[in-house]
Amino acid sequence: MLILGITTSTMQVGCAIGGHEGVLAQVHSSRGRRHAETLTPSIDFLRTQARVDLSEIGCVAVDIGPGLFTGLRVGVASAKAMAHALRVPMIGVASLDLLAFPVRWSPRLVVAAIDARRGELFTASYRHVPGGIQRLSERRVSTPDDLAGELEATGEDVLLVGDGALRYQEAWADLGRVELADQGAAHPSAASLVQLAHARALREDFVQPWELEPLYLRRPDAEINWATRDGHVSELTGSSPPSAGGPGEVGS
Amino acid sequence: MTAASTLTARTSSVDDTQRLAAAVGLLARPGDLVVLAGDLGAGKTAFTQGFGRALDVNEPITSPTFTLAQQYEGRMVVHHLDVYRLEQLAEVAELGLSELLDDGGVVLIEWGDAILPVLPNDYLEVRLTFGKGDDDRELALRSVGAAWARRQVSLMHAIAPWSEVPSEPPPGDAPC
Repeated sequence: MLILGITTSTMQVGCAIGGHEGVLAQVHSSRGRRHAETLTPSIDFLRTQARVDLSEIGCVAVDIGPGLFTGLRVGVASAKAMAHALRVPMIGVASLDLLAFPVRWSPRLVVAAIDARRGELFTASYRHVPGGIQRLSERRVSTPDDLAGELEATGEDVLLVGDGALRYQEAWADLGRVELADQGAAHPSAASLVQLAHARALREDFVQPWELEPLYLRRPDAEINWATRDGHVSELTGSSPPSAGGPGEVGS
Repeated sequence: MTAASTLTARTSSVDDTQRLAAAVGLLARPGDLVVLAGDLGAGKTAFTQGFGRALDVNEPITSPTFTLAQQYEGRMVVHHLDVYRLEQLAEVAELGLSELLDDGGVVLIEWGDAILPVLPNDYLEVRLTFGKGDDDRELALRSVGAAWARRQVSLMHAIAPWSEVPSEPPPGDAPC
């Protein structure tokens, strides 16, 4: 069975086609912020170069994040649309797992870190096990300083991988036991996605397009207070506008 | 404190609101956030149109009420969001607000005053209210946080043409 893999959770847009013969073709570009414009032409180029007709695709695998919302929206929506149209099942793989997979032979503790923007990271830690890599922690949101403290506390040799690891490298510059994986491993690879998905396809570990959800991690759980929209017209002067008591007042 | 950091201005037409917004837009820096508050028809989109013009956005800027988020290329990228149709703060996060604020452009959010819990404490609030005449608008510009507070004097100068209280017509006979 041939698998089409799509990954868009960071600046990089990637797609690959592969199956039991391995990865037949892959396309990656990371020229930033153009996920929607880049993805479909990339898939078209990919299937031409791999000489694969889309009707031969038996499964669509997609990177479900965590990562950039703007990128995930494009990648997950496109992957779902293709799976729907081709009437094939899907496999979702987390971005952090995709980062750890190519460095799975490292004897170090592998920590994947994706840039969540505005001073935060999505992170999880992994360790080599026979035949692959095992995730040791929850996938979570952290800050460079908090993560640096945790890495130091492990007392272990660490391999940090991901665009978040590179962006905040000054946070771990003084940690003697932390090594940084380079730019080449900084983004989830579509080839890794196809490889991981293939192992799961053999176990028929599929989901249907309507069941697949992105992994957002950062979801404020509250309703918007719509006092203004729903008819309580704010007064022109005098009383406080709805924003006056908000966090905007703090530290200004 | 609030009074000191709030500047007020008056405009008399959509074009006038756009001109004022363009004057403010000239002060924009990468990473800026502008929260647009005001009722339907108060001029939030008009403000964005003028603001975008100052940043060399050539495409027409239209209301993002139904598209939720629009992106325009100018001297800086202009992200224009409208959260009017959203009900959950999580939906705002799903618009990718963190990324938009972190990519070297400017972000303007219509009805942004409703989602302050998920916004950084560093923005310019522009509150538009209806004035006496149909096309008259009163604007209150409030700097929250350091980024815009540092530009308070420039901001005051930028909007000065709209800040004076319009002089009352002198008593007596109007010239015929």
